[in-house]
Amino acid sequence: MKWEKSDVIQYIEAKEYIDSVLIPLVPYQMDNDANIEVNAFQSEWTNLLANELEKELTGRILLAPIYYYIKTADRSEELSRINAWIEEVKQQPFNHVFILTLDPAWKKHEQAFAGTLLWLSGMKSGDLKSAEMHRFIRDQVEQLSELIQSYW
Amino acid sequence: MSEKKQQVSRRQFLNYTLTGVGGFMAAGMLAPMLRMAIDPVLKESGHGDMVSVDLAVDDITTEPKKIDWKVKQVDGWYESEVSRSAFVFKDDKGEIQAFSPVCKHLGCVVNWGGSDEHPDQFFCPCHDGRYYKDGTNVPGTPPLKPLDVYEHEVKDGMLYLGDPVPREGA
Repeated sequence: MKWEKSDVIQYIEAKEYIDSVLIPLVPYQMDNDANIEVNAFQSEWTNLLANELEKELTGRILLAPIYYYIKTADRSEELSRINAWIEEVKQQPFNHVFILTLDPAWKKHEQAFAGTLLWLSGMKSGDLKSAEMHRFIRDQVEQLSELIQSYW
Repeated sequence: MSEKKQQVSRRQFLNYTLTGVGGFMAAGMLAPMLRMAIDPVLKESGHGDMVSVDLAVDDITTEPKKIDWKVKQVDGWYESEVSRSAFVFKDDKGEIQAFSPVCKHLGCVVNWGGSDEHPDQFFCPCHDGRYYKDGTNVPGTPPLKPLDVYEHEVKDGMLYLGDPVPREGA
């Protein structure tokens, strides 16, 4: 289910079946031209992953809006905001909260999340429309999907 | 006298010419605008068209195999490319079957043989929905309808698929 009117209506009707939320975390920063490109690329990547995962498991996952943050910002501050999101989400009967990110800096804060952190590495540049990249992302989606299923 | 009256005066001549030229220019400006405004109506819709899925009929086995392809979809004013997938196999009678992998419960993507206890059924990982090989939903599992069936046809030994068609519930 996406964060869209038609999907949300369906969610409200079938709440007992949709017990998981996926929150993508996407960083950005403007301080340096080289980083801008990498950030934009990884943002597209995360978006693609989240959308494909949602398509695969649409009947059980609600894809939350993306959480954007400045890459150099204080992590503990961001973390408490993310956990506030999760708390908000849990006002509905969600059993599982998954957080999807390509940013490795979150890995060491893993324990502090009120949900399950799904960190995976991506590339820094490339052509997301190329056939190899397509296959690579398909594989990532399949593995993430299996990982999520193991929590259910 | 009467002959003289029928002659076109200088004023009339200018009026006619200006109206003619003005009308022609207005038409020249409006026609492309009009065409652009109703453009999606003039275009043939992709609905119901059969698309080659790049699969030779000889390569289809009795084991359901997932294939992916893309179709152009016109949604109101918005044209986009959507990916579609299907499970394709030959049934006991040797006839080609093409099922949509979208679970009829809440729309997850089902897989073939994903459940260890039921290796010869379609399985939905979200809520353990199951379907027999002919696409019929297994009673007692969440889905209430069989998997949609793609319209299919064979041309020059290649498989062409159309739109998924829902079937009645079992």
